[in-house]
Amino acid sequence: MSSAFAVSELLESPAATPERKRRLGLLFWICVGWLSLNVLAAIFANVLPLDNPLQQNYSAINVGPSLHHLFGTDDLGRDIFSRVVFGSRVSIEVGLGAMAIGFGVGAPLGMLAAYRRGTLDTVLSLFMYVFLAFPAIIATIAVLSFWTPRSLFKIVIVVGVASVPLVFRVIRASTMNVATREFVVAAKVQGATDRRILVKELLPNVAPIGVSFLLIGVATVITLEGSLAFLGLSVSPPTPSWGNMINESRTILQTNPWLAIFPSAAMCLFLLCLNFIGDRLRSHFDVSDVKL
Amino acid sequence: MSDSSPLLEVTDLCTTFTTPTGPVAAVSGVSFTLNHDETLGIVGESGSGKTVLSRTVMGLQPRRNVVVTGSSRLNGVELVGASEAEKRRVWGLEVAMIFQDPMTSLNPVMRIGKQIDEILRVRRGLSRSAARDRAIELLELVGIPSPTQRYREYPGALSGGMRQRVVIAAALAGSPQLLMADEPTTGLDVTIQAQILNLLDDLRARLRMSVVLVTHDLGVVATRTSRLVVMYAGRVVEVGSTRDLFARHRMPYTRALLEGSPRLSNPAHTRLVTIPGRPPNLAQLPAGCSFAPRCAYATAQCHVERPELQPADGLGHYFACWNPLPTPTGVS
Repeated sequence: MSSAFAVSELLESPAATPERKRRLGLLFWICVGWLSLNVLAAIFANVLPLDNPLQQNYSAINVGPSLHHLFGTDDLGRDIFSRVVFGSRVSIEVGLGAMAIGFGVGAPLGMLAAYRRGTLDTVLSLFMYVFLAFPAIIATIAVLSFWTPRSLFKIVIVVGVASVPLVFRVIRASTMNVATREFVVAAKVQGATDRRILVKELLPNVAPIGVSFLLIGVATVITLEGSLAFLGLSVSPPTPSWGNMINESRTILQTNPWLAIFPSAAMCLFLLCLNFIGDRLRSHFDVSDVKL
Repeated sequence: MSDSSPLLEVTDLCTTFTTPTGPVAAVSGVSFTLNHDETLGIVGESGSGKTVLSRTVMGLQPRRNVVVTGSSRLNGVELVGASEAEKRRVWGLEVAMIFQDPMTSLNPVMRIGKQIDEILRVRRGLSRSAARDRAIELLELVGIPSPTQRYREYPGALSGGMRQRVVIAAALAGSPQLLMADEPTTGLDVTIQAQILNLLDDLRARLRMSVVLVTHDLGVVATRTSRLVVMYAGRVVEVGSTRDLFARHRMPYTRALLEGSPRLSNPAHTRLVTIPGRPPNLAQLPAGCSFAPRCAYATAQCHVERPELQPADGLGHYFACWNPLPTPTGVS
């Protein structure tokens, strides 16, 4: 009786495995939900029933969380909840904008360098490594200090350019791993053009790594923006961003810890979700791993 | 298509790689012709230049660090030194290639059907549905069960033998006249090897193609080729009809290769004869015959002077040896 049960279980397990592999899991969808909520709130912040993030209320300074002020208020009596929501705009815009520049430039160059090799590869790699030799944070601080007046647009450009060599390096390495396989030669002797090989044969192989690195890159860039804001080099006050809120909280940390906790928690959760989704997607789309 | 002019004409083909330690002559002075509807075998040890030869013949070589001289004409079109655009016109439609390892010669993230019908849509200009129908037909032709379902699957879902069938189907999609098969069965089980080879043979006859079969296994070429080219250290050392080479080979290397193949007629536990020594370093070839250091018949002359190909009795049978083996008597 028990042995028959074991056998039937054995027989069923192979069929069940691929089904389970296709599922992304509850945690994944929770992360997607949280990110969507953040993005939607950032987009519709103006029409949501929020306090004006710049409105100062001197009768409610440094108050703790309450029904009226969900996250409390800062030292100028501004609503922290509203400032966190409006502040996410800066982070999301910098994250997506900078990565658009980073991938727009770095990914095609990385794929081309890995596929063509030779002089093109040598020159591009050399250039990128020289670029990488400067610590990104120092380089961005230097450029942003002199490129005034500061605006979100300039920050996106500077951070985006700084991310190009990183994207280049990751995409070049993963393309090279694929470009040396025989199916590329097979496509070539089928008469495929170089462009076709890059787009149809190599891109789908590199895309999963690209997508996961994109999400992790967005997270890294948001952190970088946070660091810049903390140093007072991001968007100028009073415009809120997660980074400059944390910066403002520095002096009043002992009297009002809420001002540091909420933007930090918002940023932390946002980055955690991005990283988790990136990692989950990479393993999900990796069909080459599927074994019978 | 006149049968008098050969499909493939290779003349004095040399492939030399430029390496930090000096030039390496992977293929030197190779000439042969391949007629329509014929199977040619290229045999030799590992490192004898078979694979480089088969790729050079197609005009497929690395972009850098290689010098190719001589000529390789397919239907009169020169492929050596041709531009990428010129070669692309020929590749896929007139000549196709099957690779050694079916595990790496299919794109793991592209559906099987797409890898076959890509060429039909791009090169032959077929509509999406026509290309799909043709791809399923091809999958059926190469003996893949339930091709309609397989069409939508990824290569990861297929076994090695099935993948090699897909590779063959993809190669056939452009209806080439010449199929280059570079060790098509090396990556497969012995039982699957025979199936794939028989399939190739059958397809060649049905589709009236010519096949170049590159292999190190004489058992593979024995019954499936009409002519053989034996290569050693990048040179042709003997060429002739398969029958002549098996029965009346003159070059000691050919005999050594034959003796190295297992035979069912041998008694059990017969030790296989191995060729003593190792293949020569292609960067420092000896002055004389490359095989001389390993040859039991070598004389002083063999070490200083390289033998050229000279005609033997059989039609189109040539060998390069100073001390050829005697023609066995009693064989007509």
